[in-house]
Amino acid sequence: MKRKLTLGWLYPQLMNTYGDRGNIIVLTKRSQWRDIDIEVKYLNEGYSAKELQSCDLLFMGGAQDKQQQIVAKDMTKEKMKVLSEMIEDGIPGLYICGAYQFLGNYYKEADGTIIEGLKIFDLYTENPGKDVKRLIGNISVDITAENKSLQTMVGFENHGGRTYLGKNIQPMARVVIGFGNNGDDKTEGAVYKNSYGSYMHGPILPKNPWFADLLIQKALEKKYKEKIELNKLNDELELTAHDFILKKIS
Amino acid sequence: MRNAVLISLGKVLSNLSLTLNLGSGSTWPGHFALKANKHFIKELLEKSNTKIILVAGTNGKTTTATLITEILKKNGKTVFQNATGANMLNGIASTLLLNTNKEGKLDADFAIFEVDENSFTPLLRELTPDTVVLLNLFRDQLDRYGEVNSIVANWKKGIRALPKTTTLILNADDPEIAYLGEATIANVAYFGLADKALGQTEFQHASDSLYCPDCAAKLTYSTRFFSHLGIWKCPKCRLKRPSLSLEKSPLYPLSGIYNMYNTNAAVLFAKEKGFTETQIKEGLKDFTAAFGRQEIVNYYGKQIQLFLSKNPTSFNQSLRTIKELGAKQLLLVLNDRAPDGTDVSWIWDADTEAYLTPEMKIFISGDRCYDMALRVKYTQKLVINNDRLVIEPVLQKAIDDAVTQTPKDETLFILPTYSAMLETRKIITGKKIL
Repeated sequence: MKRKLTLGWLYPQLMNTYGDRGNIIVLTKRSQWRDIDIEVKYLNEGYSAKELQSCDLLFMGGAQDKQQQIVAKDMTKEKMKVLSEMIEDGIPGLYICGAYQFLGNYYKEADGTIIEGLKIFDLYTENPGKDVKRLIGNISVDITAENKSLQTMVGFENHGGRTYLGKNIQPMARVVIGFGNNGDDKTEGAVYKNSYGSYMHGPILPKNPWFADLLIQKALEKKYKEKIELNKLNDELELTAHDFILKKIS
Repeated sequence: MRNAVLISLGKVLSNLSLTLNLGSGSTWPGHFALKANKHFIKELLEKSNTKIILVAGTNGKTTTATLITEILKKNGKTVFQNATGANMLNGIASTLLLNTNKEGKLDADFAIFEVDENSFTPLLRELTPDTVVLLNLFRDQLDRYGEVNSIVANWKKGIRALPKTTTLILNADDPEIAYLGEATIANVAYFGLADKALGQTEFQHASDSLYCPDCAAKLTYSTRFFSHLGIWKCPKCRLKRPSLSLEKSPLYPLSGIYNMYNTNAAVLFAKEKGFTETQIKEGLKDFTAAFGRQEIVNYYGKQIQLFLSKNPTSFNQSLRTIKELGAKQLLLVLNDRAPDGTDVSWIWDADTEAYLTPEMKIFISGDRCYDMALRVKYTQKLVINNDRLVIEPVLQKAIDDAVTQTPKDETLFILPTYSAMLETRKIITGKKIL
């Protein structure tokens, strides 16, 4: 039986800065290479809660501030409820930068204005202001979640906001080089059920192919309610790219 | 220190730097002059009649500034222009300093400056330009420039202070640029494209200004030329593309739709200055590309053409143009040094899907060659055989391999980022530029 996945891309036109589309491309290609039928649903502003509900895997990227305000307006109570239920139910998802912040409790702007988040992830973000440097540069981390011992990920971060995790959420990784969530506590990203939030662009998936596979695998397991083992792909180029940048920044 | 002293010192410094081969010395004198006198530029210009022309935008600055220079020169005006690498305050101060006469005064008719996005507003505090040409804003080096919205907000501050006597030449097809015309009392003139046959339906991903600059509703386009440039209107507040003062040049010396915009901008400038159609044609007819921009170089008997590709839009436009030129041999060179931006994620915003074909042989080099190779590997609907994709981190070797494998009657198209372009040029022409 040919397996099928629906990948929901939340706000592709508004939340797609820093090459985040690469994540969609990688999830698509790596599914297709394994003969998994994958459909990308472009959830642009105005999509219905029902369309969102039909997705097996979710992705949302970062954005410019102006765009983020449009998203906040489009996120109706009904859509928020559906997204929250899906995440609680264990629908896997990857939320980068702006999206990651948006899932938290709140975002405090430099002037003190508080923007309410979706309150799905127990974390908050504060922007210390224009005079404090943005956290920009190549980053490498060790994954602490998933018991993936010694698994390294590489990426590029560029964010003004500092994110602090609450009690009810686990960090995704420990920073080796770079800043991560806030530049202080060495944590990077967050994991809640099967949802991952992270500041890592680059984009994150092309040079960390096992992470892309983890998302595909979890989406299939959730959908087909069985243990899934994905076929191995030839990742020589991906791993060369991964090791090359790791060596360059170490 | 008095400016006269600074100018003499600056010239000595520049000569010294040239003699000692420390590069062309294009920004050092300005650096010192500004250190000694913060208002060096302002004070020097107050005593001169040289008209200042500023050109800003993400893509096309060098080409447009050079086109303007050529039109003016061919029509008997005395002109000087800054070098590409000298487009921040230091570089502009240096260019002014080095173009003063023996008495330390500026006597040219025009000075043409291409200006870095972040230096535009600070520069306007120091001088009152005769003309400002604003070309476009695309996503570019997000690690350095930040997001497009923040550049627009910053530019608006500078534009607001322009007097009536300044002419502001704006790209009507770029919504955010066009909307800057509402923020000023300067004399505004718009260029754009009107030929709907040039529009395209291919999906272009990296579009930044698809939302109304006034009310933030989603814009509709009757024609899209590329990225977010096109004939746009807002369905909600009725804001729309302003009517054009110029939509066509009497001739286009360079290929590619993006060069039609650059040429139209330069021609509109010339018309505003009162040049006739004949004079404009005269200025354009022998125009050759600025270095690295469609420049053709012969190397060991083979023809190489360089297409600077520094952000998603310029990469897309380079790919579109070389595909139209029937490209079969490509060399993509991706660097991540300061002039390129250290974040290479932009390659995933480019639409390799629309332009790469299985017939192309693709060589890849540069500091981040493996990232670029992954972008090519993950190009959707494209299956590239391993023998058609060659990765060689050492640029000299990559160029030699690519040239060797290019048949005699074909062209090798090299698409480098900025620092990669300088490096490539050094290898294939044996000369150092900056």
